[in-house]
Amino acid sequence: MTDQLPLYQLRDLSKTYTRGKESISIFKNLDMDIVHGDFIAIMGPSGSGKTTLLNQLGGIDSPSSGQVVFEGKRIDNLSQGALAKWRSRNVGFIFQFYNLMPTLSAAQNVELPLLLTGLPGGERKKRVKTALEIVGIADRAGHKPRQLSGGQQQRVAIARAIVADPKILLADEPTGDLDRTTADEILSMLQQLNTELGKTIVMVTHDPSAAKYAKRELYLDKGEFIERGAGR
Amino acid sequence: MKQLFAVIGMNIRSIPQRAGMSIATITSVAFMVAVLLGFLAMANGFEKTVNGSGSDDVAVFLRGGSQAELNSVLAREDARLIEVAPGIATDENGDAILSAELYVIVDGIKRSSQTEANLPLRGVQASATDLRQNFAVTSGRMFEPGAAELLVGEGVIREFEGFDLGQTIRLGNNTWTVVGTFSTGGSVFDSEIWTDLGVVQNLYQRGSSVQSIRARLTSPDAIEQVRTYIEGEDRLNLDVTSEREYFADSAGGIATLLKWVGWPLSIVMAIGAFAGAWNTMYSSVDSRTREIATLRTIGFSGFTAFMGTLIESLVLALLGGALAILVIYVLFNGNSASTLGGGFTQIVFSFQVTMGSVISGLVLALAVGFLGGVIPGLRAANVPLLAVHQN
Amino acid sequence: MNEATLIRKGLFRKVLRAILMMVSISIAFFIFAVLGAVNTAFNAGVDVAAANRLVTVNSINFTVSMPYAYYGRVQQVDGIVDVTHANWFGGYYQQPANFVQTFAVEPESYLDVYSELILPPEQREAWLNTRTCLIVGQALATQYEWSVGDRIPLNSNIWQQADGSSDWDFDICGIFTAEDSSVPTNYAMFHYEYFNESLAFARDTVGWMILTTEDVSLNDQVADEIDALFANSPAETETTTEAAFSQAFIEQLGNINLILTSVIGAAFATILMIVGTTLVLAINERTKEIAVLKTLGFNSGRIFRMILTESFLLSLIGGGIGIALAAGLVVLVAGAFQSFLPGFGMPLSVVLQAIGLMIAFALVTGFFPAFNAMRIRIVDAFGKL
Repeated sequence: MTDQLPLYQLRDLSKTYTRGKESISIFKNLDMDIVHGDFIAIMGPSGSGKTTLLNQLGGIDSPSSGQVVFEGKRIDNLSQGALAKWRSRNVGFIFQFYNLMPTLSAAQNVELPLLLTGLPGGERKKRVKTALEIVGIADRAGHKPRQLSGGQQQRVAIARAIVADPKILLADEPTGDLDRTTADEILSMLQQLNTELGKTIVMVTHDPSAAKYAKRELYLDKGEFIERGAGR
Repeated sequence: MKQLFAVIGMNIRSIPQRAGMSIATITSVAFMVAVLLGFLAMANGFEKTVNGSGSDDVAVFLRGGSQAELNSVLAREDARLIEVAPGIATDENGDAILSAELYVIVDGIKRSSQTEANLPLRGVQASATDLRQNFAVTSGRMFEPGAAELLVGEGVIREFEGFDLGQTIRLGNNTWTVVGTFSTGGSVFDSEIWTDLGVVQNLYQRGSSVQSIRARLTSPDAIEQVRTYIEGEDRLNLDVTSEREYFADSAGGIATLLKWVGWPLSIVMAIGAFAGAWNTMYSSVDSRTREIATLRTIGFSGFTAFMGTLIESLVLALLGGALAILVIYVLFNGNSASTLGGGFTQIVFSFQVTMGSVISGLVLALAVGFLGGVIPGLRAANVPLLAVHQN
Repeated sequence: MNEATLIRKGLFRKVLRAILMMVSISIAFFIFAVLGAVNTAFNAGVDVAAANRLVTVNSINFTVSMPYAYYGRVQQVDGIVDVTHANWFGGYYQQPANFVQTFAVEPESYLDVYSELILPPEQREAWLNTRTCLIVGQALATQYEWSVGDRIPLNSNIWQQADGSSDWDFDICGIFTAEDSSVPTNYAMFHYEYFNESLAFARDTVGWMILTTEDVSLNDQVADEIDALFANSPAETETTTEAAFSQAFIEQLGNINLILTSVIGAAFATILMIVGTTLVLAINERTKEIAVLKTLGFNSGRIFRMILTESFLLSLIGGGIGIALAAGLVVLVAGAFQSFLPGFGMPLSVVLQAIGLMIAFALVTGFFPAFNAMRIRIVDAFGKL
């Protein structure tokens, strides 16, 4: 597995925000490799740029300078349309506030990414069912988000993130809004997805106990990486 | 394609979340379309009544330069000279089909407002019935020559009181009896009251003069022959037009006025509705920023976001338009009203909600929906992806 | 920075939204003002009618004439100050399309009865003494660019001279005006005698008579007496006040009031919904901000007032723009409409009504949002985190 080309290669990555006349540097000259099967937790104080970094990985933001290389090809210089396509094929997002569509049922929410593939209806329904079963919420398939608890909504969000079988899962504070017990359930699920299904996961969190579920912990402070907790 | 429909579906299903504003948009579009349709229904109804009133093969003779029956004065000699003109049709006895006519204005009481309004009391000769298209006595009988009897048009009965069959009514200084009703299929003549020419001349002291002469032409083209004849005849100072032309000229006024009022008013209201639609869509995009950003993060294109918003706007506008069409049709179509016509008498007409006006209404609604949704749609397409993280 | 700034910023928090609401409001008030001006102009005849002026017409209809002899007989009736008569000439200048409202009148008595018309003394002299004189109202003179001293022909589309022609030659010897701009000056008058003696037919008739009574209280009595004079004759009369006469004519057009009220009502109902729902939404979005103001010490009453003021600002600015646009439009087209809507302008009464409506509108749309804002509980607002 380690002989394969890394999934991600970040080279010399910098991001600066300009607010009027002021320039604020979020991070500078970052280098980072993410290999297949990795489970990385990125931690750091607020404002350290963890989410900004996640956004670069997910192609929803572009760096001020440097390169984001995915499977040997640069994605930081792709057009909006090309990025949208790339995301639909390769990325699954999990957000702190779930971001489910309130007017759709759980199953319909999970089906959304599949509408961007060429799969016929029957095939889509099968995959949705599988995804729901994996996260353990198949019994609530017909419920709308407002009828689900926080933890249940996050499960649906995870199902949505994996249903199209993406190469990378990007999670932004996935347990930020959940109580301890539910958080542990969600984190265990993520761990399972990584160890049993081989999903590569990059998770941003400020919670040290959440970070423990990952294989690697990276600490981002003042725009630089500090690695901690090597390998599990 | 599926992604497009999915996004449009989500937009539409989210409408209840902004129930108040969505209803506001629907009603504002509805009112605007209702105003347009209302005015058009009046204009079309009026036009239809008047347009249906003229025949191509009936010539109307008036004194030269008078322009309207009420202003015209003709003499018995004029009738005799017309009778022998080329182009005038004759019946089986060889007599010209001709009716000399004279009308005076009388007052009637409108049922709706209980106020007085002007009605024409037309004195006619026997052939008058042959010179009106679709003429039929619908109840009772024709009046007797020389008697103070009235034949009342159906429009008059609908809009005015006191003219029911068998009733006596006082008009001017005299008492009359209603002996029959007639219909001409909804033309202007349905708003008239007829009696014998001689009776009118007598009671209103007109001697033997009349205002107009109507005659049947051998064919619509024959009017040219008649014109030439009149120009060549020194004793005659007449204007002749086909009846259809005569009415087309007099109708023009009110119908045009109604359209001139109706359209600008609707356009002005449309601007208001457009501002309302834009406002509602703006809120729609605003309140769903995170949703839209999530969809685009998943990979849905900006175009689908644009279309979702635009279609939502069009749907609201169409609902408003359809509502207005339904209400106006039910309330107005076929209903009678009357207003001042060219000769200072009332013309009774029915509101006509035509397919043309319905289409105009829908087009206007769609235009408002489109314009109100386009800019917000663009905004939706350009929602920054980073909005996924917003609280 | 003061409370006014806070209010202004609150209203314009989302500029586009504030602008859209103002557009809706200004449209509604624009419609209101324009239709109001038209309605007033329509009813101008009623408004400028003198209370003690009566009109006598043939009871059949005003288009039917009365014998000239009636004029002499009416003068015997008690309570009358002045009486005059007029005939409709129905003229046009050069082409039938150039419509000119013209009346043949009794020269001196007409000016007495219509005392609000102003004619300079020399012109008045000329008018009384010149048989072929035509006096023209200012508006009409402006329309056709006529001046005193011009010699013009006018055609009648009703009457004919004995020689068969229908045009009469006139010398314009005066131009009359009126102090009140809503008094029509879009017509012309000439001597009845010049008219009558040249007619081919229907001589010695009058179209209608106008008279002034000594006092308004005598109106009914005088009217009844006049009509009694001619009851049971071939031409019975009907005498009414000038106002009633004008009103009856307008009513023939249909229930204009109903139409106008419906349209205006529809416009206002619409913006009520649009602005009302939007303001409620806008306040909802600002729950936290308002909670913060409360923690700072702004009490509920003050919050209520501030939000309501936002609503007033919105209504007055939007409404003000609408009225201004309407007034502009009216001024612009007044010239073109001179001939049938004389004195077309933006009446003060309409403006005042509009302002009243703006205030009412602000109260109705602003009440609920202000009420909701007032009742925001700090604890709940921050708990939403």
